[in-house]
Amino acid sequence: MDYDKLLELSTELGYKLMSSGAEIYRVEESIYRLLRAYGLEEPQVFAIPNALIVSVTTPQGHPITRMRRIPGHGTDIELLERCNALCRRLCVQTPPLEEAQAQVDGLSGRTHVYRASQILLGHAIGTAFFAPLFGGGLRDVLCASLCGLTVGVCVLYGKKFMGSNAFFRTAICSAVGSLLALILVRLGVGADVDVVTISALMALVPGVALTNAMREIMAGDMISGLSRTAEALLTGTAIALGAGAGLAIGRIL
Amino acid sequence: MEILHGYLLPCASAFLACLGFTFIFNVYGVGKLICCLGSSLGWLVYLLGGKSIFAAFLAAVAIGTYSEIMARVRRCPATSYLLIALLPLVPGGGVYYAMSYCVQGNRALFFDTLLNTVGIAAALAVGAMVASSLFRTLFPRLPRITRK
Repeated sequence: MDYDKLLELSTELGYKLMSSGAEIYRVEESIYRLLRAYGLEEPQVFAIPNALIVSVTTPQGHPITRMRRIPGHGTDIELLERCNALCRRLCVQTPPLEEAQAQVDGLSGRTHVYRASQILLGHAIGTAFFAPLFGGGLRDVLCASLCGLTVGVCVLYGKKFMGSNAFFRTAICSAVGSLLALILVRLGVGADVDVVTISALMALVPGVALTNAMREIMAGDMISGLSRTAEALLTGTAIALGAGAGLAIGRIL
Repeated sequence: MEILHGYLLPCASAFLACLGFTFIFNVYGVGKLICCLGSSLGWLVYLLGGKSIFAAFLAAVAIGTYSEIMARVRRCPATSYLLIALLPLVPGGGVYYAMSYCVQGNRALFFDTLLNTVGIAAALAVGAMVASSLFRTLFPRLPRITRK
């Protein structure tokens, strides 16, 4: 068996799992099982949020290692489910390596991805219906939807103009959202500025990071858990700062 | 009428809010419905529990159990359902009010809100974890049909 190819295959699958937002233990366990299924005795896998290291020893006693850096990524549930299903299938069937590699390479192309307009619609619907949960009325729903749409546009297209600093980007998005909320309420469209702002900013709130952080910690991956907790705290601070700035600007106007 | 306004409308609202977020996190097919129903369930438990920190804990336990069951049934990672169903409970409002009191210079209310927010976040995290850990210990895996 070509162990270089096997290593490449497993690292690629791990990379895809990681960039779809899978937990560390899922990535480590998936690669471990895959390598075991292909007959390796003791494969070593180590993952932290932005790096993945896989090391195997061939039956001839020759160790080979591959390391991949994971860039910043969002959450793509569809890709995660596909990767997970493919990994299970590969572990059971263990097809020839070329075939398996082709299946792994085909993953990204075949998964369903929403168009930008649909994602924006999602932002608008999602934020709109948070307003009733915080006690807003029909007017607040409309305003939250509009503000949420604006925040969505900033999130989707803002990367080009605001640089790659996530903290700064979140703060700007948050400032834009809260400022727009304040303006809409001043114009008499929205009823409660607090409700509209909170709903509009729900898309930025680090709910996913927080949940993931706790899952990592409970699974025993302390490094990942702590770094994700830090991420959640920083994002929360950025939102608060941005909203504060937005409201302050609104008061001056 | 009271049930409609008190429980039905908020749960429907949580359902629709999550429907929006399924687009953002690229959930597709039946998974969408599962996520949205999970969030309605969580919000219902939260309302029945009286919107306290403990209610948030109970809601997280409910969502955790629900997503583990769904994950077993569909043979998919539980994370997908858990992440989205928990979103309405995440204390975004708390962070905002804390910030707003901070800007106003109201120190007592600021710390009060902040601690409450941290409490809810911790309750959510621990609740979801307790549920899935318990579930994983009790039912390790559904019997799988092995093909050779």
